[in-house]
Amino acid sequence: MSLKTASRIGLVLPNIPNYSETFFNSKIKGLQENGFEVILFSNSKYRNVHPTCETSFAPNFSKRFGLIFDILFAIINCLKNIKSTIKLFKLNREDGLSCKNSIKNCLINSHFLSHKLTWLHFGFGTMALQSENVAEAIGAKMAVSFRGFDLYIYPAKFPTCYNLLFSKKVKYHVLSNEMKNTLIDYRISSDTIHIITPAINIDFFQPEASAQEPNSVFQFVTVGRLHWKKGLEYTLEAFAILKKQEIPFHFTIVGDGVEKEKLMFAVHQLNLEANVTFAGKIPHNEVKNLLEKSDFYIQYSIQEGFCNAVLEAQAMGLLCIVSDADGLSENVLHNETGWVVPKRNPTLLAQKMIETIDLNDTEKSKIRENAMERVKSEFNLTKQEIEFKLFYTD
Amino acid sequence: MRKFKIAIYCGEIPPPTFIDRLINGLAEKGNKLILVGKLTRKVSYKSNHVKIIGYSGKISKTFILLYYSVLLSLFQNKEKKKLKNWMELNSKYNNISKIRYYPILYNRPDVFHLQWIKGIEDWVWVREFDIKLIVSLRGAHINYTPICEPKYAEIYKRYFPLVDGFHGVSKAIMQEATKYNSTLEKSKVVYSGLNTKKMSFNLTKKSVEHLQILSVGRNHWKKGYRYALDCMRILKDRNVKFTYTIVGVDEDEELLFQRKQLDLLKEVFFVPKLGFNDVIEKMKKANMLLLPSLEEGIANVVLEAMAIGTVVVSSDCGGMKEVIKHNENGFLVPVRNSKDMAQAILDASQLSESESSKMLLSARDQIEKQHYEKNMIHGILTLYKHSYEFKNS
Repeated sequence: MSLKTASRIGLVLPNIPNYSETFFNSKIKGLQENGFEVILFSNSKYRNVHPTCETSFAPNFSKRFGLIFDILFAIINCLKNIKSTIKLFKLNREDGLSCKNSIKNCLINSHFLSHKLTWLHFGFGTMALQSENVAEAIGAKMAVSFRGFDLYIYPAKFPTCYNLLFSKKVKYHVLSNEMKNTLIDYRISSDTIHIITPAINIDFFQPEASAQEPNSVFQFVTVGRLHWKKGLEYTLEAFAILKKQEIPFHFTIVGDGVEKEKLMFAVHQLNLEANVTFAGKIPHNEVKNLLEKSDFYIQYSIQEGFCNAVLEAQAMGLLCIVSDADGLSENVLHNETGWVVPKRNPTLLAQKMIETIDLNDTEKSKIRENAMERVKSEFNLTKQEIEFKLFYTD
Repeated sequence: MRKFKIAIYCGEIPPPTFIDRLINGLAEKGNKLILVGKLTRKVSYKSNHVKIIGYSGKISKTFILLYYSVLLSLFQNKEKKKLKNWMELNSKYNNISKIRYYPILYNRPDVFHLQWIKGIEDWVWVREFDIKLIVSLRGAHINYTPICEPKYAEIYKRYFPLVDGFHGVSKAIMQEATKYNSTLEKSKVVYSGLNTKKMSFNLTKKSVEHLQILSVGRNHWKKGYRYALDCMRILKDRNVKFTYTIVGVDEDEELLFQRKQLDLLKEVFFVPKLGFNDVIEKMKKANMLLLPSLEEGIANVVLEAMAIGTVVVSSDCGGMKEVIKHNENGFLVPVRNSKDMAQAILDASQLSESESSKMLLSARDQIEKQHYEKNMIHGILTLYKHSYEFKNS
């Protein structure tokens, strides 16, 4: 398979990734090292450019002072790239858009029109909405990544949102087999769906050589933003069962978010104040230190694309108990590298936590070592880099 | 009983239905009412004893500010200066505060009744002007705000000793408030009141072939709808035929996703907020009203269902057990427990005609005895009177 020289990839993201967003930065770096030119497109109103990529921002049509300049700029962009504009307009009309909406759509997508790209890759399914014809209009191939929320939650609110997208010629990237099956259920051809799992920095996430003293109080941890999809209320209910059985434990929740009020009240109502800590959002180094001091990692999500935090915990040698939401049962192999519990069932989760606590050291070590080994070989950045290189090599 | 001049403050005008009932009832008894707040829509009261000082935009705000500034300067300049000192000391000397404070100061009510205690810090100044400060202890503001936002626990502890009277919507909430230095001596439970004469009671047995389950309430985590949907999945697994409607919830992402994930698209429906009469109509048609809340003072919607003859299945939160006696006038289940909720729904649906009638009659009786509107008005007036005497004793 030969790699076309000077392939230009347009990556469409909601925000320009900042320093801490390792996934997109490592992907960009990997592509650049493999000879791809990466151009970032974003509709963020915060116009921070990326240090190593050309960056292009969508016009901002929100009502404000300066709106007229954005409209003028978009019109000029369309006129300067009249061929692509006409093609986009025609494709929109063929899709049944009214004349007025077709023109609007050209203006919304005007920032793409001047770019000659090999691939136009939408980083989330939702980013491709209203831009379904742009790749064809500019003569690029179209790729779309689905990461979880966009495939499972967004369509619950807007059930027909992807009808147009799924009628187009697209190469899909998903994080798990489960997500691939979901796309197949939407009648997407299996050949066009490629699984590339997330990866982590295995050099950074590895435990220190010196073994820790065993904890007298079992230390549980979870890392992630405080969002309902993380299933933390169910998790706390499971811990309330442990507490009733007088099992000594402490649960640290790392992350912040809109659900904090609800979770704090749950901790209070479930009488877990002495057993639960909200650590807030903390830097990577501190997360690593915390993982090092902990025994068990819990990810009892309701919906989860794949979850890097679970990979990091496995790499650090924690025993992981996760829900069966979407990609999690591929992230952790039940009874091999951790345990998978049916979602939305705190009783079953508590039962599994107790069983895991009761395992002997040999059984625990076996699972721990399996998980560390699997993450190292299956979810490293080098493997992911090769897979993305292949993805763009047609 | 003595007639009072009462300022009611709840931020917005018109206030919620249960506060409106209080306003109308107090006005009917010949008390003078002043309502200050942001006007969200046009409102009028039958009684000419209710004076509305509302603002909705820059013009009305400017008018109120100028009007009351001039009146205070002309007739109560000393008091105006005293209030200015307090405002400056407390970093509140700004136009927004003036718009809220000046009409109260000028009208000088006997009682200032604050409906939502989160704002207590802004209103303790009224005591400096011989206005009695009465606060209502309602649901969220006392049950979880100080837990989730510890700064409010500190504010309450600091200012509750200055309050002249506490109105608790339940015994449970009154007890909860003592954690923040409220005193039971100054507190009185006054249950929410309904005009039961206007709410027709119907004992007709409804078909249970296909259960109609209803919840009513705003879209907020404290309403516990997540547990209700888990409960519906349990019912579906047990092959129960049902429709579950939540009124007050429309486009909530979490609930829409949960409904889809649990395969309840044909059973569960979300309906945006409806007016009082439409809610009552829906309630009449339902086999039961479900209250899956995690926290409540006492939910008015439960009182309404009990008044009209709809069986209630409620979580045992806040003051709900002060209204519902399990298996006697309704069903009470532990909070955060979908399994018990499902079992209670099944039990409710399997009541014989005589058991159902007995339960509904008992429910209606409970509402008539404990939540009669006139009792509410009398209770509130007693609290005002008592706090007035307490202050002067």
